[in-house]
Amino acid sequence: MTGAHSDPIVPAPAAHPASAPVPRPSGAPGEAPRFRSASMRVLDLSLGQMLWSRRTIFLALVVGSPLALGLLFRILSAFGVSGAMRAGGVAMGGPAIFGSMVWLLYLRFIVPVLGVFYGTALIADEVEDKTVTYLFVRPIPRSAVLVGKYLAYLVTTACVVLPSVVLLYLLVAPLGNGSLAGAFPALVKDLALLGIGLAAYGALFAFIGARFKHPLVTGLVFAFGWEQVALMLPGYLRRVTIAYYLQSLVPHSMPAGGLGSALQSLFRDAPPVWVSLAWLAGCVVVFLALAARATGCREYVLDQ
Amino acid sequence: MTAKTRYFLVGSVLVLLAGLSIGLVAYYGGIPPNPFSFRSGPAELRYVPGDAGLVAFANVRHVMDSDLRQRLRQLEGATAEGRKEFQDHTGIDVERDIDHVVAWIGGRGGAHKPGGLVLASGRFDSSRLEGLALEHGGRVADYQGKRMIVLSKEGRGEEFAMAFLEPGIVAIGNEATVRLAIERGQRGDNALANTELMKRVEGLSGASLWAVGSFDAVSARTSLPSELRDRMPPIAWFSASGRVNGGLEATVKAEARDEQGAENLRDLVRGIVALARMQADSRPAAKPVLPIPSWSQR
Repeated sequence: MTGAHSDPIVPAPAAHPASAPVPRPSGAPGEAPRFRSASMRVLDLSLGQMLWSRRTIFLALVVGSPLALGLLFRILSAFGVSGAMRAGGVAMGGPAIFGSMVWLLYLRFIVPVLGVFYGTALIADEVEDKTVTYLFVRPIPRSAVLVGKYLAYLVTTACVVLPSVVLLYLLVAPLGNGSLAGAFPALVKDLALLGIGLAAYGALFAFIGARFKHPLVTGLVFAFGWEQVALMLPGYLRRVTIAYYLQSLVPHSMPAGGLGSALQSLFRDAPPVWVSLAWLAGCVVVFLALAARATGCREYVLDQ
Repeated sequence: MTAKTRYFLVGSVLVLLAGLSIGLVAYYGGIPPNPFSFRSGPAELRYVPGDAGLVAFANVRHVMDSDLRQRLRQLEGATAEGRKEFQDHTGIDVERDIDHVVAWIGGRGGAHKPGGLVLASGRFDSSRLEGLALEHGGRVADYQGKRMIVLSKEGRGEEFAMAFLEPGIVAIGNEATVRLAIERGQRGDNALANTELMKRVEGLSGASLWAVGSFDAVSARTSLPSELRDRMPPIAWFSASGRVNGGLEATVKAEARDEQGAENLRDLVRGIVALARMQADSRPAAKPVLPIPSWSQR
């Protein structure tokens, strides 16, 4: 099938593969809905599809691992095994463990992974399931479909990742010398940071999903190949990564010496916070616009 | 949107809001610090004044039972003579009868003078202690329903007192300060109401030894030379804690008042650590005890 460049108004198919009928957007009869209203309709439709897909099992496993680890630390602490995690030979307190887990597990792994798996699949899944036709023949701009799906991705991942971080905070922050009160400012910053990370990676991988032929491979290569290598290399290459700007917003400090020192040295020349925020906001806007443009212009050829 | 999806989203938002609310309330001191850790500082803090300059805690039981203590005893070749003599006089076996000790200085003591007090928790033979006090010319009195033993220091007009505040808790200090501690325990205007202090005390739970102090409170109530006070880095709070087992892990924290002060403090600590490292180069045995500095910003 060849995707039409202008979206014709055609009747909805008798049976939608997702079993939930696509409601007709509100507006005057025969009048195409506005972009925002169309995006919200697609968000409404896609939310359930994303939440109750096979990918959710993967999402639950990925997000459940830090919680299981936090629970383990909690149990060890209850049995009097203190100093389960050490940095530079010093037993880490609750806030330090929490900060390290957010940094290493969430920011450096979970957020990029979710971005890759969900972001690249926004349009690719519809193409693979041969259901993209049903969306594109609706009287809504193709870009609204992409934006609606992107918003559904944000809601889905945020609703799973952020509560898990809060639970991790309740489990881990009071350990050792830590306290809920002391770690609370870091929690608030972490939640904001993870939201920004999900948005930035999601937009980038939405673009990759809309533009490239093998988006999953391309996304994985970017997240776990390019980003890791570029961050290690001296010079300006690290500025072409999202992790570089996210890292400068991380509020946690790590003990000097050992692994903490090595990790901190990688981000020694982190840009100011406002610069990072501006870059990340720019990434979201630019990549989302590019993804919307790619979705609007590209011919999606479905295998017969 | 299906009902299942709606329930999931609402549940997720509720978990998020509940966690944030708990954190927010804890941050502003509205709930007991660290409700999930089963401890929020020793119970004796209710006898410590809220304006105490320095509060210290020692888990005597933990220290006495530690491998470190046993090794030190072997190294020193210590005998039990001194401990035995003390036990004969007071009925207190320091190694077995005292569980932990809380002490404070720098708060308002008797007659509005800077005071200090030691609060020991353990197993005490009150009748034996009273008998010993009477033998040494002391007297036994009741104050607000609490038993007090008072001993006068000859020629100095001061009176040393010990009061049984609760079963297993004794206060030791001068008489006026001990009386204030008894009153404080019944009034509630104590360290538990000082959220800034309690935040820091709660953060040290689990340590064998700790001390928390407000630099302002200490300097206001002690006569530091003005030259020394002017040269001190602008520290608001300081704390030290240690965990004793096979060895001793110690952590010292200092909180600066502002960013400039924090920078000065960092420079000072970096300088000290650099000096220590230089010294350690010629003494490899000292390397394991080199301090590892870390910085955090509130």
